[in-house]
Amino acid sequence: MITGARTTTRIAYAAAGALLLVVGAQLIGQFELAGKAWPPLTDVLAYVATPSGSSLIQRNLLVTLGAAGQGFVIGSAVALLGATAALLVPILRPGLDRFAAILNAVPTIALAPLLITTAGREGTPAVIAALSVGFVMFVATTSGFAATSAPQQDLLTVFGASRRRRLALLELPRSVPAFVDGLTLAAPAAILGATIGEWFGAPQGIGLLLVSAMQNYQMALLWAAALAATLASLVAYLLLVQMQRVAVRRFS
Amino acid sequence: MPSTLSRPAPERAVAPGAPPRSAVSISGADKVFTLSRGRTLQALDAVDLQITEGEFVAIIGPSGCGKSTVLRLAAGLDTPTNGTVEIFGAAPRTLAAQHRLGVAFQEHALLPWASVRENIALPYRVAGRRVDDARVDELIELVGLGGFEKARPKQLSGGMRQRVSIARALVLSPDLLLLDEPFGALDAVTRRKMNAELARIWAEERITTILVTHDVDEALILADRVVVMSGRPGHVRTVVDVDFPRPRGPETTRSPEFHALVDRLTALLDAPEPM
Amino acid sequence: MSRLRAVGAGALHLWPVALVLVLWDLWVVLNGYTATVAPRPWDVIADVVDGFGDYLPYTAYTLGMSLGGLVGGTIVGFVGAVLVWWSAALSGVVTPAALVIRSVPITAMIPIIARVVGYGDPAVLASTVLICFFPAFVFTLSALTAIPDSGRDLFRVLGAGRAQLLGRYGVLHALPSLMVSVRITAPTAVLSAMLAEFLMGANGLGALFSRARSYMDMERAWGTALVATVVSVVVFILARLLERRVADRVS
Repeated sequence: MITGARTTTRIAYAAAGALLLVVGAQLIGQFELAGKAWPPLTDVLAYVATPSGSSLIQRNLLVTLGAAGQGFVIGSAVALLGATAALLVPILRPGLDRFAAILNAVPTIALAPLLITTAGREGTPAVIAALSVGFVMFVATTSGFAATSAPQQDLLTVFGASRRRRLALLELPRSVPAFVDGLTLAAPAAILGATIGEWFGAPQGIGLLLVSAMQNYQMALLWAAALAATLASLVAYLLLVQMQRVAVRRFS
Repeated sequence: MPSTLSRPAPERAVAPGAPPRSAVSISGADKVFTLSRGRTLQALDAVDLQITEGEFVAIIGPSGCGKSTVLRLAAGLDTPTNGTVEIFGAAPRTLAAQHRLGVAFQEHALLPWASVRENIALPYRVAGRRVDDARVDELIELVGLGGFEKARPKQLSGGMRQRVSIARALVLSPDLLLLDEPFGALDAVTRRKMNAELARIWAEERITTILVTHDVDEALILADRVVVMSGRPGHVRTVVDVDFPRPRGPETTRSPEFHALVDRLTALLDAPEPM
Repeated sequence: MSRLRAVGAGALHLWPVALVLVLWDLWVVLNGYTATVAPRPWDVIADVVDGFGDYLPYTAYTLGMSLGGLVGGTIVGFVGAVLVWWSAALSGVVTPAALVIRSVPITAMIPIIARVVGYGDPAVLASTVLICFFPAFVFTLSALTAIPDSGRDLFRVLGAGRAQLLGRYGVLHALPSLMVSVRITAPTAVLSAMLAEFLMGANGLGALFSRARSYMDMERAWGTALVATVVSVVVFILARLLERRVADRVS
């Protein structure tokens, strides 16, 4: 409200922060303050600009994004179904809640042996991404369902709405903001999950690239891959934040 | 009379015959807020308000008339765009820095992790003074919270929280007490009860007080003078002296004179101003 | 009696876990997998119980690294946020940068830390500290910038400076948010410790896991996964308990 000039200051501060980050990273690399393992950013960018470098990063990033995207969709869908089941069959609720919490606490790396036998080396990244997304979305959706108020429930009951109609008219639309809220967190989780999956012998992907670059001392490649993963996760997050703004305006 | 400063109550009342000291002096105060995209909002237009020491002044007006802004000027939380604000001849900030201000808002702003006793003692700690336990006990009794010293805010009712907030405002025996809708969030019955209690407490401490409220009855039960404000932009519409005898119990509030004054002020709040 | 019943009901609500165990067993038996492909759950549990002494030092190491990182990162993040809050300009500059760094996937951060710090314990600890740092920093800073106006006004009227506002109000006001960040990062701390151990392979459950895998000792590998899950769940439950205690005390 009373913040006309402050928005511009905020943007200026944020720009200064970004600049500081970039210049700092560059200087640390330039003067080898953190050793040879921290190359100047310009070297990393120069590597990305080479045709072989850019095609390598691009190819692997697409694989990772594909796995993350698959996991994102599957995980969200399963979580939505699970949360709806917990809503319609209340006796399932405590068990599913607890299971979701345990699933969240499971270090995803621990699931690798199971997944490699079941989903195979190529399928594992998508499954781990789906698991990471699933927990976040289950929690977000159940809290969204809980956001409906008792008077709203009573109103629809008085009008003689069936359980299914109440779900369609009240709980599903009401939970949209929380659901989209969850998606903003789930997108980076999907990318992280996919890269973890790729550590276990996937033929391609940013996760694989990170490990092999580390083991082979290819610092420019390591940093370029890390940068690509970060950018992907940041962009996914920011896109979903935009979507969330729309959802909040429309549904609450 | 240096001893008069350290003692709270009746001794400080203005000596008979001495000219009353000016406590609050707001002259020609304008307040303009800058909104986004370069737009501005004039909250106050040439507000004048003079309050003498020991006086209880209520400011009433419809919401958005700038009455809280006047209080914030007196508290030094805002500064006027034009005009001057002086409290006991100095800038309001000076008074705050000397820990001579007491304040209670509609939001009680109690520390949720601290007990009733610790909340009331907070001004001592902020001022860096040793906590006067006897004074804290006295205030706990005064606001009727004996037995609740160790309770935390979430264990108290809304009315009790406001009592703590008022005790906290009084604990340092401030020279100026600022109350911004302190009972605004209470139900009508609790509110009347708190009005009566505040009147009793004020009668004991006699601190110069500004009360902002939108409740005409509350203003008339408590104040020596009622300032009626109007909005867009906020300005003083009229000032009414209230000379019902104290304490103003049911016999006062049920009297036709009281009702007549309530009706007159309510009409002033509702009616558009003559151009 | 009612307490016993509550515990019973609590155990009953673990049905999905039991279901997973049964499905796992069925899946192994029906597919006719040998122990080198996928062991049966009972064999894995037996390996953990029999080989408890083998698991213990690795488990202790991972637990220590996770808790050390969690505590260290949280403290550093909290102090950092308090310092940055002191100056509006500084917090404006640092906050967006922190958000960017926060979206670096751990899988990208750990290999870099491993190379910059060098393989070994410091690199594992640095990974967990760094990963717990950013949430603590962001949560604390957002709580500090969200100090209610009424509290801010109260302290100004009482004649308090910024230090008093912070010491008597801000720090405790931010504590519940800090605890939320502890709860959220607790499982992540275990995960990142294990990922770092897995990658650098000197000590800890991650290293044990990596070794068992390369020797095709599937019971040990799955057993490590089981122990890691228990460790992570325990850390998470402890963090949640602490969060509730703190929230109850300061709000």
